[in-house]
Amino acid sequence: PALPSGWSAEKDFKAVGTLSGATQRNLEAVGPFFLAHARRKRHGRTFSEDERI
Amino acid sequence: MSSETNGAAERFAIGISFGNSSSSIARLNPEGKAEVIANEEGDRQIPTALSYIDGEEYHGTQAKAQLIRNSQNTVAYFRDYLGKDFKSIDATPCHNSAHPQQHEDTVAFTIRDTTSETPSTVTVSEIATRHLRRLKQSASDYLGKEVNAAVITVPTDFNDAQREALIASANAAGLEVLQLIHEPVAAVLAYDARPEAVVTDKLTVVADLGGTRSDASVIACRGGMYTILATAHDYELGGATLDKIVIDHFAKEFIKKHKTDPRENARGLAKLKLEGEATKRALSLGTNATLSIESLTDGIDYGSTINRTRYELLSGKVFAQFTGLIEQVVKKAGLDVLDIDEVIFAGGTSHTPKIAQLARNIFSEKTAILAPSTFTAAINPSELAPRGAAIQASLIQEFDKEDIEQSIHPVVTATPHLQNAIGVEVTSGDAVDFKALLHVETALPARRLAQFAAPKEGGDVLIRVCEGAREIKVTKPEPKPKEEKTEADEDDSDFSDSDDEEEETREIVWKTEKPIAELAVKGVKAGSKVELMIHVDADLGLQITAREVGGQSAVRGAVEAPKA
Repeated sequence: PALPSGWSAEKDFKAVGTLSGATQRNLEAVGPFFLAHARRKRHGRTFSEDERI
Repeated sequence: MSSETNGAAERFAIGISFGNSSSSIARLNPEGKAEVIANEEGDRQIPTALSYIDGEEYHGTQAKAQLIRNSQNTVAYFRDYLGKDFKSIDATPCHNSAHPQQHEDTVAFTIRDTTSETPSTVTVSEIATRHLRRLKQSASDYLGKEVNAAVITVPTDFNDAQREALIASANAAGLEVLQLIHEPVAAVLAYDARPEAVVTDKLTVVADLGGTRSDASVIACRGGMYTILATAHDYELGGATLDKIVIDHFAKEFIKKHKTDPRENARGLAKLKLEGEATKRALSLGTNATLSIESLTDGIDYGSTINRTRYELLSGKVFAQFTGLIEQVVKKAGLDVLDIDEVIFAGGTSHTPKIAQLARNIFSEKTAILAPSTFTAAINPSELAPRGAAIQASLIQEFDKEDIEQSIHPVVTATPHLQNAIGVEVTSGDAVDFKALLHVETALPARRLAQFAAPKEGGDVLIRVCEGAREIKVTKPEPKPKEEKTEADEDDSDFSDSDDEEEETREIVWKTEKPIAELAVKGVKAGSKVELMIHVDADLGLQITAREVGGQSAVRGAVEAPKA
């Protein structure tokens, strides 16, 4: 992290750009982390919702 | 519905790796560790072969031994014929066993599998069913419980027809196929499921060196999820190519002594093949191996030895083909050898010490080479695929069939992966460095948490979240001043100079591409740390949270998804 000098923003947060895109790829349907991912996706849950259950 | 859930409860699943040369069965033992099961003959790598004498069926090693006396009624190397039409197959591996032939729109073998004198035509699907039935029987006998389901590994280039044919064959053998998984991914899973393994973001190359073919693939492992980036196949390269070198070596020696070529006699060649393979295996373990065959040809007994150095000398070219396949797949993925964190050697031929050593030279020192000769805790390369399959089987065997199908299909294909790495800028002294938090090819949605040391004196901290790109920096060593040379030792120093100059250092450097967001964490105590969490949605929106470790207040903000 760098030191700021005369830097200010609303609520100390400033969005300056967006991500430049993604590629569609196929995940391998294997392993515990994928199964957790599949579960979240099928039930439309977020990470934190999933952890609470 | 209730009957379905009952069915799922009674499911008893194992992992099966079904290869052209050999197959294995594995399960998760009660301690939760994957374990490869030996069949009644004590084999863990069970040759994929079936043989018939007087209507009696022989399987595995026993069937393979029949290649000498009863080759016409022995079927081997048939996995890759499943779900294919006759025109598209390569029949070379079956040269010394029952020949594949066209039968309607599939491949079949003509063998005498009953006591009657007339041979019958058996399709490759039926052969596969009989093979899988024997594997299932061996597993059931060992476990004392009827096995009725399995996860089976397949190569990455298996098409839908081959997959369907395999599932149909397995069903006919009384096995419910829970899922077909890719061989290289099973290998990665076998390593990642070890208790000491830590889930990290890494790029892995799996070199699956088999008997009659070899496959290599590059897999992005991100947060424990796997994405195949590239695959390469060689359908002629494998352990059989190495066997041939051993066979030719001994055949030449035999010719010198006895003036006849044992390879011209079908039975002699079959004997040489069987024993030559065993000798090659011995050379992977010891530095010396013997070969002895009774009545090789013309009733002459033959015995000889070969040492590993000689074998490696003879096989140099073939070894280079194996490493060439690995280099090829890295290139195909658009990557550099420096990007690779880990190389997993799988398949029987990966036991060969020299191949892993050659791979060691290709990659940088940071790259882990997971093979028995380069890594003491390496898992037996032959057991990786069945172990991975067993782990996956245990994960999904409780699921309803519907659940598995839903999880496997629509979810997998619709996953965006990051095009650029996301990270933060870190200042160390005057230099601004980029530290990646989410790597390229991370499947979305994803989140990562990281801690950074705040400046020593504390105070306010600025965090810049940016996209970064990696570049390969090539630094050539500065040429040595030539004036220093005296004329007397010119020849000497010239020689060493040219050696030095060729050795350029290549390293990965990160470059900030595009700033995304800036956050300020104020009043950080001296010497403490700042914690940063980045969450990326599937639509590329971001949520960023930063706070001092142990601090109360957090700075958070969101970056909108890019407009299409």
